[in-house]
Amino acid sequence: MNEIGYVASREMKIGFRNPWAYSFTALFALFMFSLLLINTQSYVQGYTGSSSTMINLALYLLPLMALMLGSFSLTGEKEEGNWELLSTYPLRTWTFLTGKYIGLSAVLMVIVSFGFGLSGVASWLLGGAFAAVTYFQLLIFSLCLSLFFLGAAMLIGSIARNRWQALTMAVGVWFFSIIAWPAILIALLGTLPYSWMKTAVTILTFINPAELTRLFTVVKLGGGSTLGPEYYQWMDWIRSPWGTPAFFGVMLLWIGVTQAISYYLWERGRGRG
Amino acid sequence: MMDSRSRWLVFVLIMLTIWLFPVEARADNVGLDLQSILDQAESGQTIVLKAGTYEGPITINKPLTLHVEREGSVKLHNSSSQPAVSISDDQVTISGLHIIEEELKETPTLLVTSDQVVLEGLSIRTGSDGIVVRDANEGTVSNTTIIWAVKGVKRSDKGNGIDLLNAHRWKMTNNTIRGVHDGIYMENSDDVMISDNVIERSRYGIHGMYTKRALIERNVGKHNVTGAMIMASRQASVIGNTFTKQSENVYSQGILLYDTHETIVADNTVDGNRVGFYVEASTKNRLENNRISYNFIGIQLLESSGNTMVGNQFIGNVADSQAHGSENNALSENYWDSFRGLDIDGNGKSDLSYAINPFFQGVAEKRPAFQLFFQSPGMVFLESLYQTERNYWATDTAPLMAPSDSRIQAKHPNDGVITGILGFILLLCTGMIFFTMRRQDT
Repeated sequence: MNEIGYVASREMKIGFRNPWAYSFTALFALFMFSLLLINTQSYVQGYTGSSSTMINLALYLLPLMALMLGSFSLTGEKEEGNWELLSTYPLRTWTFLTGKYIGLSAVLMVIVSFGFGLSGVASWLLGGAFAAVTYFQLLIFSLCLSLFFLGAAMLIGSIARNRWQALTMAVGVWFFSIIAWPAILIALLGTLPYSWMKTAVTILTFINPAELTRLFTVVKLGGGSTLGPEYYQWMDWIRSPWGTPAFFGVMLLWIGVTQAISYYLWERGRGRG
Repeated sequence: MMDSRSRWLVFVLIMLTIWLFPVEARADNVGLDLQSILDQAESGQTIVLKAGTYEGPITINKPLTLHVEREGSVKLHNSSSQPAVSISDDQVTISGLHIIEEELKETPTLLVTSDQVVLEGLSIRTGSDGIVVRDANEGTVSNTTIIWAVKGVKRSDKGNGIDLLNAHRWKMTNNTIRGVHDGIYMENSDDVMISDNVIERSRYGIHGMYTKRALIERNVGKHNVTGAMIMASRQASVIGNTFTKQSENVYSQGILLYDTHETIVADNTVDGNRVGFYVEASTKNRLENNRISYNFIGIQLLESSGNTMVGNQFIGNVADSQAHGSENNALSENYWDSFRGLDIDGNGKSDLSYAINPFFQGVAEKRPAFQLFFQSPGMVFLESLYQTERNYWATDTAPLMAPSDSRIQAKHPNDGVITGILGFILLLCTGMIFFTMRRQDT
């Protein structure tokens, strides 16, 4: 346990000395602030134009940030030879990876919280009205999104040999899951019989954490009826007392699975090393 | 033999007695027989009911005026399967009566089958339809409260608040209707006036089918599935109504026009609904000066043409508009807050037009499973790529640069301070972490 804590605190120290972390913080804070300025006329409560824009901003920026910071941190260990040094110590792979994940997630959470802190204070000072419940829900949404994609980042970091490979993969995963997702699904599933289509969309949504987190948040913000009659049961289910625990369960499972695959890949690498 | 003077005196005395001491019901115990009081009354007589609880059902088959001694003091219970009150002759007036039915039943609580009936200040608890009017004209329902009484009943099994069939020239004003199937339902009824009513937690607030020249004004609807649903109707006026928070149901909307023509929809506020305005298969309608704010979708325009939309304000909606198959509508001078226009000549109107992209609507209509992508970043991106046949899109030719709305902003959440404090705490904590974690020179 102490070893995990050691790796995590080392990761945090490195993370906060990384100029990337600060540039992402500045970028996220700046965007949150600009959105707030654009929307000074209106209030943010529940699922409205403003909150939808904020969700989309977070979806553009946070996954990319998590993917890059996470995968670079792991490939950095390989490139700079730190891992070779560490592997001579009695440090187990899963301790190393878990510590890494915890340290990086702390860095990401601080970045996201800083952006939200700034926009919260700014909205108050500018006399805008940002409902506390909506603010809190959007914060949780952004944190979950970062943690999900950090799982994917660990996987990329384990597969990629160096930062360049990691960058290519990170951008690829980001583009696929955020930008191209509807286009690909509409193109591929459009030919399926209708009864299969809904099942396929449902299964694939669980594979894409961006969509899963977005839909969960939209329903929680009260916008579930936009999903149409096809997903009526989803709406009821997410709103039921089991909705939130189940979502966090899926999140833990998702992170667990990506960590397990990363562990397998590192172990294989270690064996060869 | 009396001379004519004493005959006159007797007559005046009798009239005075009737006027001063109308037929009175005893109020000393429960279950008074109201029907026999009605049976004894003369046509055209005014009956003032003394405080107490009466037992229904009652039938009024002659012109009578029924008042109560004191507001809220007279109750009429009905546990039979008949309507609590049936009115079958013209010019009957009932006011101030509390009618109570606590059980689910087939027949309505109050049934009107005659003309010029006035229902004023009633309070109705119903387990069926509140007031049903059949083949009767020129009646009035005002200041009346209709509330659904039976718990644990599905909405589809409930009755309507006020239900008109073949009932022309009725006026319904200042009523409150809660928890029923349709608040006010009218079918084949022309020239009906519905104004200043409040309808909550029902399926449709106001539901018109095959009506002409209905006037629907200044009504307020909250938490219904749909505020006003006007179907297969002509020449209605829907003016100054407010429909809010109708977003729970997947078929919710503020105002729906289906197969409706030559109708004016003006000065309404639709706020926080799933869809603000839903217009399908409707032509030659005029939508003017409405405020459509904070809905998930501002307006949905489907297979409609020849409509005019002028001076509407679209504010804070997740998606301002969706349109499909709706060419040849005249849209101009509306304010769309998601649109950034360009005003070269400084007349307050954009020289760039605002076109409603039909892509998502088209995809979701064909394959509802893809409705899941509503406003997802990838879908927004894909929509921006799809620009073909732009000249067939519903287009606002001169959108306003700034909202012209002088109406007071709808509710504001007042917990901006809590958000500020939360933000401050977050900022403080993260600032401290940044500070302690900074690179320190050794």
